[in-house]
Amino acid sequence: MRFLRDTILLMNRALREAIRQPANEIGNAFIPLFFYAVTVGAVGDVAREAFGVSDYKGFQLPVAILQGAAGVAGGAGLAMTLDIQSGYFEKLLLTSTPRLAIVGGRMLADGVKSVILCTLIVAMALAFGSGFETGPVGMVALVLSGGVFALCYSGIGVAIALKTGSPQAAQAGFLLFFPLLFLAPTFAPLDVFATWLEVIARANPVTYILEGMRALVTGGWQWGSLLKGSAAILGMGVVTWTMTAMALRGRAAGG
Amino acid sequence: MAAIVARALVKHFSQEIKAVDGIDLDIPEGQVFGFLGQNGSGKTTTVRMLTTLLKPTSGSAEVGGVDVLAHPERIRRSVGVAMQEVGLDEVQTGRELLTLQARLFDVPGPVARTRAGNLLDVVGLAGDADRPLKGYSGGMKRRLDLACALIHEPRIVFLDEPTTGLDPITREAMWRYVEDLNKGGVTFFLTTQYLEEADRLCDDIAIMDRGQIVAKGSPEALKSSIGTDAITLGLGSAEDAGLAEPLLRRFEGVDSLQVQGAQVILYLKNGAAAVAPLVLALAEANVKVEDLRLRQATLDDVFLRATGHHLETGDQGQGRL
Repeated sequence: MRFLRDTILLMNRALREAIRQPANEIGNAFIPLFFYAVTVGAVGDVAREAFGVSDYKGFQLPVAILQGAAGVAGGAGLAMTLDIQSGYFEKLLLTSTPRLAIVGGRMLADGVKSVILCTLIVAMALAFGSGFETGPVGMVALVLSGGVFALCYSGIGVAIALKTGSPQAAQAGFLLFFPLLFLAPTFAPLDVFATWLEVIARANPVTYILEGMRALVTGGWQWGSLLKGSAAILGMGVVTWTMTAMALRGRAAGG
Repeated sequence: MAAIVARALVKHFSQEIKAVDGIDLDIPEGQVFGFLGQNGSGKTTTVRMLTTLLKPTSGSAEVGGVDVLAHPERIRRSVGVAMQEVGLDEVQTGRELLTLQARLFDVPGPVARTRAGNLLDVVGLAGDADRPLKGYSGGMKRRLDLACALIHEPRIVFLDEPTTGLDPITREAMWRYVEDLNKGGVTFFLTTQYLEEADRLCDDIAIMDRGQIVAKGSPEALKSSIGTDAITLGLGSAEDAGLAEPLLRRFEGVDSLQVQGAQVILYLKNGAAAVAPLVLALAEANVKVEDLRLRQATLDDVFLRATGHHLETGDQGQGRL
């Protein structure tokens, strides 16, 4: 109970910070919206002929969701390094709050910001003419999965921030996302991939997250894809949260 | 009951870096205890161990009767800490920061808001309470940091160089505030580089040098341990000082002396009565006295005697009394 209450208190603090310093959030919103518009504009008309995708606007929507969520999730690590450098992190360690709440608040704030951004992205995609097979319930599921993805992915940046205290290193956590995204069926379905790329893509958890989200938009309630996607997000969460907890323990021990 | 106890407390960061090298502390409740030393002497490392931010390499410590290693979370609940580097979130307002700080100490919401308002008033920030901290001056941040350390009404407060970098007016205000709280029974563990601060505020002082406590006692007891008065003799050269030293050591009433280049400082009980015979004795020994000053012994003299060097604060005019 105490953990949950303090996590929410610290989440509110992180959200206030985002509202008062909106530049980062504007950047996080611009990148996925821009790439969505450009990619759909460039490939949309030939997608059916080239690789059999009739609703390319819907096909690209999960990519924008993941880009946006990952961008938002990079914020927690960076903000954590700023807290460490300013000494505020130490002040939080000196309170009686459960220490996991200190990182949990930041990560949960990323989840909330991601939900807001994903809602915006879905609205834009619908305005562009994207279909949505699973209707409003599916839209809510997609937006929430974007939030959960951000919550999980932010663990990478936060763990790096806690381990190194370096803003540059924490931002590198966000850059890790790009190889993962481009080694997945981002622009075309898996069945048109070269064999070597398909092998890599099938070992990449982002592939299953993307396909699960894509099922909501273009495929309908395909439970197999949805379960695999959910498992991939949660699996990633287990790994990143474990990394974060270990890094927190190391930093809190103080040497 | 003792507020803070340490036994053979050690923190070694490596084989070469022995930040704290076996210190003992017994600080009674309600005392203002001063930890005096230069940068790098081990003061902050000691505070970090006593406040659970750092694990000791060996030894033991209790704060408020609680073992720092066994129950760090209980220690954090009961102590207030303001570290040397003011760690504040500059995006928040003073009121938001203080209220959040209180809530993270499990103070209920309405009480937290009331306390934050009261403390902001006490530290003179009521008028700026709803402005983001990025617009605060260094002194304002320092006062807010002190308020953060007190928001959960701790009985033991650690202040790590609380007035470093503050202007004299703000420093005086901080001292008065510490004195007022101490009258209410709050125990303070204060590290400082300022002799005036230690002399003014502290019931007891420990002088820290290279990770060890080299002198301990009340300011008055420490000063009287080296003699009540100090006579500083400026001699012609270091050779003259060397020649005069054996003579001065035998001089009646001299408790101790320090030679620093061409300067000799004598510590004795009745300096005024000793001046004339001293000058005569030196003249008879053909030692030329170029300068002579009589003053009361200070903590700087104690520090010099204990460590072999003056306390350098890097903040001109504050180190000496």
